[in-house]
Amino acid sequence: MKCEQIGELLPDYLQGSLSPDQHRTVNAHLEQCADCSEEVAVWRKLSLLPVEQPSPRSRVRFEAMLQAYQTGRSNQPPSNSRWRKLFSPWNVLGWLSSPLGAAAWSAALLAIGVFAGFHTVSPPKPPSPSPELAQVEAELANTKQLVVLSMLQQQSASSRLEGVNFTTREEQLNPQVLSALLHTLRYDPSVDVRLAALDALGRHSAQPQVRSSVVNALQEQQSPLVQVALIDQLVEWHDREAKSRLEKLRQSQDLNPSVRQHADWAISKLN
Amino acid sequence: MTLAPDEDLMLQVRDGAGEMLGVLFDRYQGPLFNFYSKLTGDRTLSEDLVQEVFLRILKYRQSYRPGTPFRAWVYQIARNARIDHFRKFPRERAFDPDMLPPVRPTDSAQEHQEVELLHRALLQLPEDKREILLLCRFQELKYEEIAELLGCELNTVRTRIHRALQELRKSFHQLTQGPAPKSASAAASENLPPRGGRHEV
Repeated sequence: MKCEQIGELLPDYLQGSLSPDQHRTVNAHLEQCADCSEEVAVWRKLSLLPVEQPSPRSRVRFEAMLQAYQTGRSNQPPSNSRWRKLFSPWNVLGWLSSPLGAAAWSAALLAIGVFAGFHTVSPPKPPSPSPELAQVEAELANTKQLVVLSMLQQQSASSRLEGVNFTTREEQLNPQVLSALLHTLRYDPSVDVRLAALDALGRHSAQPQVRSSVVNALQEQQSPLVQVALIDQLVEWHDREAKSRLEKLRQSQDLNPSVRQHADWAISKLN
Repeated sequence: MTLAPDEDLMLQVRDGAGEMLGVLFDRYQGPLFNFYSKLTGDRTLSEDLVQEVFLRILKYRQSYRPGTPFRAWVYQIARNARIDHFRKFPRERAFDPDMLPPVRPTDSAQEHQEVELLHRALLQLPEDKREILLLCRFQELKYEEIAELLGCELNTVRTRIHRALQELRKSFHQLTQGPAPKSASAAASENLPPRGGRHEV
């Protein structure tokens, strides 16, 4: 057998998963072929590479991170904001069965029907979309936006998380959805949802409102985990204006030591 | 209790028992650290990335589904953490092969030197080749899991492993003997069978 054919078998040979026949074939080839047998030797020799140990500091850092996370999860900020109260009776099923929900879904179904009709009857004509099509698309977008806004108001954190994730599918955020996301970042009672909102907002740094809200959130957030994520985001944006706010943050007396350390790191990165 | 499967522990973490992550940390910080340090040659960065992996496990724990092998899931996170890091800080990617981590002395000076050269040869490989070798040789991932991780076919994984190994052999060969044909060095280590000998796995 040629080296090429043996080469196809070699990875399974090295894992010991060849049939006895194939194994013998490879062995016979290795006895004659210096290159292939050296490949096997190099593979085995890899096991001699030293196993490196992380420093003991690593475990300490992990403990601090975990503790910060647990503390952050138990320190829930107040959630009875006006915005939340305004929508709080909503839940998906309740909303869908309400007259407004029913009307929205009827409109959506109609819009989908008309939209599908346009696409099946005639091929799409991108240069000049008809006003009807534009209207249908606008209605669809509107419905999607209502669904997202409703999800962000759910009682269950996982539904709100889903709502946040939903927004990441859109390249451009509607101003209302954007402001709902910014609100979630500031006031959502769940650390996970606030972190997800930050991730989602990270994609829209071109909007000045987003940057300023993230910088402001730095002072407001009490959860070390969210603080660390905010700091990371500012470093990622190379937001030099954030430096003074970071310096102010690190002066706070009750700041978690890991966050202070992280703020120092960020300040050095932004220099 | 410490012998609970990784998957059970991760489900507990997902359901709010964050403290169980400590057990997973003890099991995985070593392998992950070695994965990163052999991949990047940078101990400090490797420790940072290990921390990032565990932070991400907490952040994305709700996305862990029962039945998903934890090892494969965690290496997916580890790969993404590294990719994201180098996207954020591309300048730190520069790697100097002379800045090798220290190699521990072993019984034999020759073996020590060989190991050092092999390490150097590994670090000289293009990163994708180095990564696939690390994943299958050191991280105990099955080829199927690697295929899923890299988003390619199983046969492609086999081909890529073989190509990476071919290149590693050439590179190691050049370092040990120059480009001329080989000598008996492959048989130098007593852990290895003599060249042309039997290779039972």
